[in-house]
Amino acid sequence: MIARSLAALLAGGLLWAQAPAKVPSLPGYQELKYPPLPQVKIPEIAVYTLSNGMKLYLLENHELPLVGGFALVRTGNLFDPPGKIGLADLTGEVMRTGGTRDKPGDEIDVQLENIAASVEAGIGETSGTVSFNCLRENVDEVLQVFKAVLTEPEFRQDKVDLAKTQSRSIIARRNDNPSAIASREFSSILYGRDTPYGWDVEYEHVDRIARDDMVAFHKRYFFPANIMLALQGDFAAPAMKDKLEKLFADWNVQQPPVPAFPPVQAKPSPGVFLATKEDVNQTFFRIGHLAGVLKDEDYPALQVVADILGGGFSSRLFRKVRTELGYAYSVGANWGANYNHPGAFSISGSTKSESTTATIETILGEVERIRTGEVTDEELKTAKEKVLNSFVFNFDQPGKTLNRLVIYEYHGYPKDFIFQYQKAVESVTKAEILEAAKKRLNPDQLSIVAVGKPSEFGRELSELNLPIKPIDLTIPEPKREASKADSASLAKGKELLQRAQQAVGGAGKLEAVNDFTMSANVHVTMPQGAMNVTQLNRWLKPSHVRQEQELPFGKMSSYFDGKTGWLSTPQGTQPMPDIVARQVRGAVLRSLPLLLLSDRLPGRSVNLAEDGLVEITDASGESVQLKVNPETGLPESVTYQSLQMTGQPATLVDAFDDWQEFDGIRQPRKVAITRDGQPYAQVEVKEIRFNSGLTVEELSKQP
Amino acid sequence: MKMLSWRVAVFLLPVWLCAQSLQEFEKRVTEFTLDNGLHFIVLQRREAPVVSFYAYVDTGSVNDPRGKTGLAHMFEHMIGKGTARVGATNWPEERKALQQVEAIYDELEQERRKRGRADPEVVKKLEADLQKAIEKANSYVNPNEFVRVVEESGGVGFNAGTGPDRTTYFYSLPSNRIELWFLLQSEWFRQPVYREFYKERDVVREERRMRVESSPQGKLQELLMATAFIASPYRTLIGWASDIENLRAEDADRFHRAYYVPANITIAIAGDVDPAHVRRLADKYYARIPAGPLPPLVITEEPPQEGERRVTVESVSQPILMMAYKRPDQRHDDDPVLDVVASILSSGRTGMMYREMVRDKQIALAAAAIAAFPSAKYPSLFLLYSVPNMGHSVEDNEKATEALLEQLKREKVDEETLQRVKTKIRAGLIRQLANNSGLASQLAFYHVNYGDWRTLFTGIEVIDKVTADDVQRVARKYFDQKTRTVAYLVKPGAAEAPANNAGGEAK
Repeated sequence: MIARSLAALLAGGLLWAQAPAKVPSLPGYQELKYPPLPQVKIPEIAVYTLSNGMKLYLLENHELPLVGGFALVRTGNLFDPPGKIGLADLTGEVMRTGGTRDKPGDEIDVQLENIAASVEAGIGETSGTVSFNCLRENVDEVLQVFKAVLTEPEFRQDKVDLAKTQSRSIIARRNDNPSAIASREFSSILYGRDTPYGWDVEYEHVDRIARDDMVAFHKRYFFPANIMLALQGDFAAPAMKDKLEKLFADWNVQQPPVPAFPPVQAKPSPGVFLATKEDVNQTFFRIGHLAGVLKDEDYPALQVVADILGGGFSSRLFRKVRTELGYAYSVGANWGANYNHPGAFSISGSTKSESTTATIETILGEVERIRTGEVTDEELKTAKEKVLNSFVFNFDQPGKTLNRLVIYEYHGYPKDFIFQYQKAVESVTKAEILEAAKKRLNPDQLSIVAVGKPSEFGRELSELNLPIKPIDLTIPEPKREASKADSASLAKGKELLQRAQQAVGGAGKLEAVNDFTMSANVHVTMPQGAMNVTQLNRWLKPSHVRQEQELPFGKMSSYFDGKTGWLSTPQGTQPMPDIVARQVRGAVLRSLPLLLLSDRLPGRSVNLAEDGLVEITDASGESVQLKVNPETGLPESVTYQSLQMTGQPATLVDAFDDWQEFDGIRQPRKVAITRDGQPYAQVEVKEIRFNSGLTVEELSKQP
Repeated sequence: MKMLSWRVAVFLLPVWLCAQSLQEFEKRVTEFTLDNGLHFIVLQRREAPVVSFYAYVDTGSVNDPRGKTGLAHMFEHMIGKGTARVGATNWPEERKALQQVEAIYDELEQERRKRGRADPEVVKKLEADLQKAIEKANSYVNPNEFVRVVEESGGVGFNAGTGPDRTTYFYSLPSNRIELWFLLQSEWFRQPVYREFYKERDVVREERRMRVESSPQGKLQELLMATAFIASPYRTLIGWASDIENLRAEDADRFHRAYYVPANITIAIAGDVDPAHVRRLADKYYARIPAGPLPPLVITEEPPQEGERRVTVESVSQPILMMAYKRPDQRHDDDPVLDVVASILSSGRTGMMYREMVRDKQIALAAAAIAAFPSAKYPSLFLLYSVPNMGHSVEDNEKATEALLEQLKREKVDEETLQRVKTKIRAGLIRQLANNSGLASQLAFYHVNYGDWRTLFTGIEVIDKVTADDVQRVARKYFDQKTRTVAYLVKPGAAEAPANNAGGEAK
């Protein structure tokens, strides 16, 4: 107790001790004199061409007993085929996980991690890389793996499937992070949603991509003449060169040169693009338009423009939007030039919903200001000194020089590009900056992407006097490829369906069905555990359905007339939610007595997808594939897509067994249902009755 | 045979490397403590003419006073505001204006404290006066001068960070300009100015909206912490919205006097420096900061948890699972074992969680373990999280995670796995040694938290002694359902989903 109150006293005393007058006066920062900076060591890089045509760059660095390197490959997701977006990304992923000819990926994982080494592969927008890192002692062993991943990946099917599963999950999650939505939509709007620069991977693309596509993609782009190899670390360059020469001596595949990347062909899309997200209380925004490339003559001036506008803690936007208004935690601007295609000039940040319009307005005002008036001497001095005084950090690690050299060569830039840039910044004038800003920042081309909750925006976005276009964030469901239909396949489909009609009792019997009743026990297996459900399903021409279920937690019933319906649970009765209505519509389509009559029902098309497989599609585009046993003519199974309650699609298969006759029509007594390949439910039919005289009144009556 | 030879090689090599690294480092590290208690660690690394600075204040959100969560974090935002000399156009006038702001704010608070009897007209008038006073004080500001000077001088990576147990300030400079860092940082430590405090409070409020309120993971993480901890100040890191909105500059001043005493600060410098020169500059700039008593320890202890806790955040986004078990602080003997357990569970592609949940069962897009969450100066959590794959639920991910923990309790981890994890931890250390800013932060961290920067190296030897028995013992001791908190991020009404599903799909 005593000690503590003493401490409190001392702390109190400090207040007085801190009075500024008592402090010996020290120089102000303006008075500091700095000695000259010691000369920067620019490391030497040995450059070779291996006899198979690979270019090799070696940098000795003996500080630590490590060796690392990468192969830079001229490829990229810009080469994704339009129907198979995501192929490059998946190829990069499975190159590593799918293992090599000699070794499955899982074995490589263990081999490398046992020696704390890594080999990784990936394909980005305009290049692909395979990289490695290891302790010096393991370099021979790790180089073997590196080479195998680069040159002979096996793309084992299990890892192809794994990567595709993961891609689907990533798509399902793409609207969870508002900042990521803003950035994605911004690119799509600037570059065009139907171009390789702006499109997104969808479920249908993932579904379409197969192992063969990856093998072919790898084969096309991974060949020696298309690869630059760069290594740095604790080795002697000449010996390493010999080692790599030997290692790659037997890899001599050839391919025609890789074509140029597709050109950017986008038109400006000015206006506000609004994506509504109800679960946020901030608006995440991106404002900008297409920019240029690093080679542009005015690139250095534009870098200075972007820096003064929003490049750091002392920039105009930071000062205005964050420091003065307190509107945002993060706000910044970036000129965003690329090496080989126009990048995006962008201003990004987030602000509370209420200050959305005010923040955007402030930012637009700053864009206008920087292109209509010269920057101040002080701003220019700060911008220049930042670049010039921090220049040494471009050389603080030898590896940076190596990476730069390789990247410059890859994109056809001069070796001394960074020094040219330094000189240009050093000499840029206020007039040049204004000229560049005036010419290259175009307020009437700005696309403004806002992701947030418009009901809380405070001032209306319309006060900006710009066109407002909504962005639809709905993730398109996978479209199952409809099988190619021609008159022959249509005829054959009908023929096969008629065979099935015959096998269950004949089309006449089926057509005479006016109503039917089916009761069943359903045993559902789910991750949460198993569950037994008793079901009573009734159908009445033309499209009335009622289902009653007894579940562990109570009774549920539902009715649907083809358009609307209701759903009743222990919690009460409600109009049938859309997602349930869609499931019911699907269930009606699949219901066997009706499915088999599809050639006679209006709006349905019947086509032979492949031997023994009929594809049936209803008017709404919902489709089912029916497999018919070639010997008995009986239906074997139906395959269909169904939306889960989580909104995610799944592939379900109902397999039929134990056929029996009910009122002259053969029906399966057992149905085994699998969902995405996993067992999901077993249906045991207790009874089926046809034409027992059901009425609309009895079906539609609420409990 | 081949497997064996790797293992032997691995076993021998990195031990030698670490011993060598430590010896090598000893030669290049200088340490000294000023009379006021401020400790310096200087690492000479002459690879390039650059230097990284890392100032570690041994305080963080755990020291936020009751009702004032978020206060420690405000300092990270005040560093850019400068000092009496930097960032001011007329300090004497500004000082008066700032005092006036506080005086009006006091009056306003007095009126508000009357609650129901407060006169709304008076409140309104005082609020308007306060706004005017703030604007007046702001008129003396030379905005962002402090940071601008750093950036103009070639400073890179200027930033600060606040954790539960630490507040850190860091950037790098060309080696000829290190005196600037001594001047600016010492001046700010000695006497920060709470300039533009109330605007910055709005910025912090925006930061909370961005990191927590508009982020599904942020929400889940905050709820997990607030549920797992009843009394521990690890309950919240960024602070509650209402607390942040009412923070006062005078609260910050009080906090600074208590926690920003020199004996509570450690500074690590790594790069192309002359240790004698550093000593001279430290004497010149830092010795003048008056000594103060060490700040109080956090005495609130988390009461024992006597039953599982489960919480749910409903969100339209895709599901996430977090599970956390209580664990002791970093000084406990089991600390290194818990590090090993976390690595066994989730390091690289060979971690159990990746193999089982991501690769084989394919129920998760990602799954991992964190040995200490949110920090470890005080008893904290062993966290496991999982991001379910499409079509899979938090429930099946929870089951799978639990099964892995049961496996760790039931079966001894095999020698190859244990060795692999140790090798990776060692190699991870070596890979950090070529980076000034990373090194500076590590040296400061180990000095503050383990009493000696050498622990960065010797800690590896402790890890090396961890046995399969230790792993099993620790798994049995801590992975106890009773001390567990499970947090789900799920869609609204997701609990009903399975039944509806069956209704829709089974015929």
